[in-house]
Amino acid sequence: MDTKKIEEIVYSVIRDYCKNNNIETEISKDTPLIGSNRIMTSLGLVNVIVDIETAFLDEGTEITLTSESAMSGRISPFRSVGSLCYFIGHQLGIEQ
Amino acid sequence: MNRVVIITGTRKGIGKFLAEYFLSEGDIVYGCSRRETDLTNDNYHHTRLDVSDEVAVTSFVRNIYKEQRRIDILINNAGIASMNHFLLTPYATAQRVFNTNFMGTFLMCREVAKFMVKAGNGRIVNYSTVAVALNLQGELIYSSSKAAIEQLTRVLAGEIGTYGITVNAVAPTPIDTDLIKNVPSDKIEALLSRQSIKRLGKFEDVLNVIQFFIQPESDYITGQVVYLGGVIQ
Repeated sequence: MDTKKIEEIVYSVIRDYCKNNNIETEISKDTPLIGSNRIMTSLGLVNVIVDIETAFLDEGTEITLTSESAMSGRISPFRSVGSLCYFIGHQLGIEQ
Repeated sequence: MNRVVIITGTRKGIGKFLAEYFLSEGDIVYGCSRRETDLTNDNYHHTRLDVSDEVAVTSFVRNIYKEQRRIDILINNAGIASMNHFLLTPYATAQRVFNTNFMGTFLMCREVAKFMVKAGNGRIVNYSTVAVALNLQGELIYSSSKAAIEQLTRVLAGEIGTYGITVNAVAPTPIDTDLIKNVPSDKIEALLSRQSIKRLGKFEDVLNVIQFFIQPESDYITGQVVYLGGVIQ
């Protein structure tokens, strides 16, 4: 697992979610997942979190996006697609 | 189609009875307990784990999903009891009871519900006890942990009801299992006298309520607690 693979999985899950829910938007590292400009509802984010965890499991890698550090951190890892990728990389010991 | 069923606490007692029932129905059962089981069946998969261990529970549930791609039913059967006067209840005992009964139910519900939400359906059955409704003295920690499960059941039902998932609880009377083996017989008699139907419960009584909760026609039944024996809150 490397940074490129993490981005591939995360982007793929979010694009699938948008496609299935008729959300037309370009996904980039700055795309917000929470906040006033978010592209999905909070329930949608729950679905995406589960799909990302499952997609990593399919690759033989266990991650937990509902950890205390993710949910109660001063800066949320869900503020953008890029920050979510970084958070996952950090959890896997790839990002410092 | 065979249902994929998770039952906690399947080594003995009601959990083992339920596992055998679902297996006889041709379902695929994933059971767990802290110790090994003697249950053998091609459709039975056992994992040794402590239900209050977050990492173990997460891994257990994820691996079931990875194998089956769905989880249809969760039965949070695992539980421990402690009968003490409040003033004689060790803190460690209180923590242990809450960890297994409430935290175990919380963790299993959280991890399984993630996949049920994805699927847009699912059935979760939790366990309370008539000790909650009867405010039994000497069972403060046990009944408090079960009262917390009742509240979890109601709130969770509301949070995931829109995804086609029902969450209910069965509240058994005393049943002749290890759970009550240390309770004096006069205490059991006093408890039975407060029930509308004055007898010990049977495994079949619990199964009957669970069958009702999980049947397809019960998709309009959620957030409910059913007390056995005619105990009324």
